[in-house]
Amino acid sequence: MARVAILRFPGTWSERDFDHAFGLVGAETEIVWHEDVDLRGFDAAIVPGGFSYGDYVRAGAIARLSPAVRELRRFADAGGAVLGSCNGFQILCEAGLLPGALTRNTGLEFRCDWVRMRVESDATPFTRGLRGEILRMPIAHGEGCWTADEATVARVERRGLVVFRYVDERGAATPAANPNGSVANIAGLRNEGGNVVGLMPHPERCSEAILGGTDGLRVLQSLVRAVGTAPAEAAVA
Amino acid sequence: MRFRATIHVRPKPEVRDPQGEAVLGALSSLGLGVSAVRTGKEIVVTLEAPDERAAREAAARMGQELLANPVVEDFSIDLSAA
Repeated sequence: MARVAILRFPGTWSERDFDHAFGLVGAETEIVWHEDVDLRGFDAAIVPGGFSYGDYVRAGAIARLSPAVRELRRFADAGGAVLGSCNGFQILCEAGLLPGALTRNTGLEFRCDWVRMRVESDATPFTRGLRGEILRMPIAHGEGCWTADEATVARVERRGLVVFRYVDERGAATPAANPNGSVANIAGLRNEGGNVVGLMPHPERCSEAILGGTDGLRVLQSLVRAVGTAPAEAAVA
Repeated sequence: MRFRATIHVRPKPEVRDPQGEAVLGALSSLGLGVSAVRTGKEIVVTLEAPDERAAREAAARMGQELLANPVVEDFSIDLSAA
């Protein structure tokens, strides 16, 4: 059975939603406080959304200095699967586990809405078999505008690190489909190894039909299947 | 010795500053000839260090490690004895 650690920082607010949603796909979960994170024996670590440390300094900046991020880095280096959503994506970028930075939405608005995004990479445990699919998920953020210098943007595109791209219902990456001004409509990225993924939308909030959609479940199911065919990190180490 | 370091953080010139754009729009309505606005923030830190050079190095490290994000922001330091 997949063992998933869900990190909780002061100000995290989506950890119980992830806990619930992973229960629907048969994963064993544990919510872990950021000062006590020991990821040995876990298959995956989730960095949920929220407002860690009140978004002071910058979204995700203070969490970067938490002991949890040191442990996350060790876990990721050993090949452990890591998913950051919303504030979790911001934390992973601040920590340098993913490229670029998430800045204020160009419209200055906090966007709470549904978006569509195309899965552009299946070289991650979270998107196996989903390449080319268009997923519909909710967003809720004020700092989701992904940006980076030109060389980084070029590398991200060339190396196929874009995992999710905002598109319209016909699959076109138009400015209108981009909720926050992200460069090249980028909604989510992976690292070179493919084991670390971040995205602004919330898969945990669209995992039951009663919530308006179930596309998030496909991301969580992908992880459960992927780690079901690979040994846990502790067994490898 | 005790120092006061003022760390100024601002978006890099090539990075969009939507807050600055919003302020520009508002200031324009005052008709004062404003043509561009860039916003940033200022963090004032009081610290102990053996000398000015060490204090400056410590403040620079604060900028690099936490106060500014090198992907999108620059910072500068004003240092004085406190």
